[in-house]
Order: sequence, then C-alpha cells, then structure tokens
Amino acid sequence: MDNLGRILMVEDDPKDVELTMMALEGHNLANEVIVTRDGEEALDYLYRRGKYSTRSSEHPAVILLDLKLPKIDGLEVLRQVKTDNSLKIIPVVVLTSSNEEKDLVSSYKLGVNAYVVKPVDFHEFVNAIKELGVFWAVINAAPPASAWK
Amino acid sequence: MAQSNIQIGEIQPTVKRYCLALLSVVIALAFALFLASHNFQGLEFSLFLFAIVLTAWYEGTGPAIFALTLSSLAFDYCFTAPFRSLRVERSEVPYYVTYILFAALVAWFAAIRRHAESELLRARDELQAANKELEAFAYSVSHDLRAPLRHMAGFGELLQKNVNSTLDDKSQRHMTMILESAKRMGGLIDDLLAFSKIGRVEAQMSLVNLDQLVNEVVTEARQEAANREIVWRIDSLPSCYGDRSMLRIVFVNLVSNAIKFTRQRARAEIEIGCVKGSEHEAVVFVRDNGTGFDMKYVNKLFGVFQRLHYADEFEGTGIGLATVQRIIHRHGGTVRAEGSVNQGATFYLSVRKS
Repeated sequence: MDNLGRILMVEDDPKDVELTMMALEGHNLANEVIVTRDGEEALDYLYRRGKYSTRSSEHPAVILLDLKLPKIDGLEVLRQVKTDNSLKIIPVVVLTSSNEEKDLVSSYKLGVNAYVVKPVDFHEFVNAIKELGVFWAVINAAPPASAWK
Repeated sequence: MAQSNIQIGEIQPTVKRYCLALLSVVIALAFALFLASHNFQGLEFSLFLFAIVLTAWYEGTGPAIFALTLSSLAFDYCFTAPFRSLRVERSEVPYYVTYILFAALVAWFAAIRRHAESELLRARDELQAANKELEAFAYSVSHDLRAPLRHMAGFGELLQKNVNSTLDDKSQRHMTMILESAKRMGGLIDDLLAFSKIGRVEAQMSLVNLDQLVNEVVTEARQEAANREIVWRIDSLPSCYGDRSMLRIVFVNLVSNAIKFTRQRARAEIEIGCVKGSEHEAVVFVRDNGTGFDMKYVNKLFGVFQRLHYADEFEGTGIGLATVQRIIHRHGGTVRAEGSVNQGATFYLSVRKS
C-alpha cells in the first residue's frame, strides 16, 4: 500500500480538477488523488457508501474541499466531517474561489484546518497547490491508525 | 372548528384594543372620583380628555370613539348637574364638542403617523431585500467569475509553455496579451469586490493616532520604493475618530499614488501634513511633485474605474481614489484634490477630530 496517503479532492469543475492534478503532478507528488464531483459523492466516499462501499478502509490523508458544490455544499460536508468522531481527525483544506469573509468565518467555526483562496494567476495557483500537497500529504504527520475509530 | 379558531385569532387584537380603551377611561374615572372624594375638583374634564387622546393615539379610531362615548357618559353621570343622571344640559355641550374635536384631531394625526410608519417599514424591507441581492451578487462575482478566469490563465499558460518555441514573434505576443488581460481582469474583480466590501462592512470606530498610522504606511512604502530618491516631509498629525483599518487603506492608496505618479521625477517630494480645519474637523493632505492632472477633469478623479493616465504610462485599475472617497464619506468627511499638469497633486481629506 502507498504510504503517502490519498488526497480526496471534492471539486465539481473538471477544469479545476485538471489544473489541480497538473499542479500536483508537476511537483512529483505521487499521492493517489480521488476526485469526487459533489458533496454527496464525497460523503459517500468517506462513509464507504454506494459505489465506494468496497473501497479500503483507510481514510484519506487530506481532503481538498471546494465550497460551492452541487447537491450538498462544501460547508455541509465540512460540518458532517468535523462532527463525526471517526472522520473529524482528517485534515480538511477548503480550496475555493470565494474570498468572502462569511465563508472564511463559517469554515473556521466548523473546524477547518486551512482555508486557501484559489489564485487567478496560474503560477500562484501551482505554488499554492504544491505547498498544500507537500504540507498535508507529505510533511504533516497523519493521525496514527489507532485514531481511526 | 378550525375556522372559528382563525376568527378568534383575528378578533383578539381588536378586543384587546377596546379593552385598553375601557381601561384608560376606568382609570381616569377612578382617579377623578378619588380626587373628588378629597374635595379636589376641576380636573375630571382633563382626565377624561387625556384618556380619549391616549386611546386615539395608540389604539385607532374605533377604540377612540368607544373611549369618547364612555368618557362622555361617565362625565355626564358623575360630574355634571344633575348628578347620577344622564341628562345633558345645554351648558355641558362645549365639553362634549371638545372631546369629539380632540379625539378626531388626534386620531387623524395617529393615522398620518401610522401611514408614515408603514411606508418607512416598507422602504426598509425593500432596502434590506436589495442589500441581500447585492450581497448575493458580490458573492457570485467573487466565486463564479474568478473560476473561468483562472482556467483561461491556467490553460493559456500551459499552452504557452508547450508551444511557445514553435510560435512566431507575433503569435507569442498575442499569447502574452491574452494572459496579461486575464490577469488584469482578475485584479479588477478583486478590486471591485474590495470596494463593494467597504460599503457593507460595519465600521469599527475608535480614536486613531494618525501620526502612528501614517508612519506605518510610509515605512512600508519606503521599503517598496527603496530604489527611488524620495524626500519625505511628514508633519505632526492630529488624532481622529474612525475605523483604523479603513483609514489605513486611505493612506496606503494616497501614498502609493504619490510614489507612482512621481516616478518620472529624478527627485520625488512627498509631503503629508495638516491644514487648519474647523473646530471638530482635521484636514489632512498628501502632496506630491509628480505628474499631476488637469483641474478640468477633477470631478472624474474619484469615480470608479476612472483614470486620467494611459495604462502603459501608469499602471492601475482606477479604483484607489474611489475607495478613498468612499471610506472618507463613510466617516462623514469630504475629499478634494488640487493639481495641475506636471506640477504635482494635493489630496485633502477632512476627518472628525476626537
């Protein structure tokens, strides 16, 4: 098994998915990236429901979460993750276009681990993704297996 | 059953209004009787009048007529000859006429007040709705407009990296212009959002030491313009009452403008000082010896996205001075500018003193 840990990306825009993947690959981050396209699918993945019912029980090393999503929005996903005893230790990084104070405050109140506004400039975007990937998926020590209960 | 419940629900407030009318008259009567029992007379008329006026003002026309009738009956029965009788003497008529006139007058005023009140409430609701819409709009701009822009910039950049070596000079230049424009639009959107935020965020008012604030701003600006020769003249400034972070934005904008528009000077001179204002107002100015502007266009200076210089001459989105004006207006102050072409510019702003 890959000891780098998976990255769970929750992003509805395929173009953003592609840009983020390129940024991650461009920096040789070999982590497996799972892409879910809306809040419902993300929760299905985390709770191993529906098409994810057969996935391995290992949790992702980090969740990259967009806020504006179809069906269940990002803040609701964040709320569910952070109020669930078995999921709340997964680091969640909100990665969004919105630099509205309202979203920032709500996210921190719900217990987000980091909040990153996607820069319009591509270089800045690549750097932001790189630093996020390196920090949360490589440098940051993940909670030990005994913590997953 | 359900229907009668609804009716009771509708009737109850009306019953309450009539009960209050009754109560005010009963209190007036009790008070009048109490005074009479202590041989203190002559106030009954005023007491009933007071009860009528109060009812007319607060409870409307129906209860006012009710209070008027009750008061007239009580007044006639208890306080006018013949006592303990409802007979009306000719001499008492002016009393009742006064009651009726007063009740009508006050009910009329009350109706006008209620109308104005409901108009105000309606206007407030409309404003709140419009404000909400505006907020939703700003949110949508911040989220939805930036995404496609990021894609244009991102994929454009990737394309440029992959094919640039095979493109001729002209196509390379076009590629660069596309990317620059995407970047510029990103900047414009961010500026516009920041500008709209100033109108929506609540100001945190406190006593602000302008000396300290300006020093902070200038120290930062100096570091950024370390390669330029700039002579700074900073007088002592008063303290004023305002939102510190907003006033900081004001001085950051004015100082960075002064640095920008003196770029063509070998030796830039920037002066920040204070001229005598009124008793409650301080007038602070920021002066430079830069490129200045034609006073003909002074009224365009503070408009959103208005620029008096070409984009390739001096960069910028044209939102800085609009932001300055908006912040100072929110503080109840005024801004004005003086200048002439190639003779520098001076920006004055008035702020409330402590």
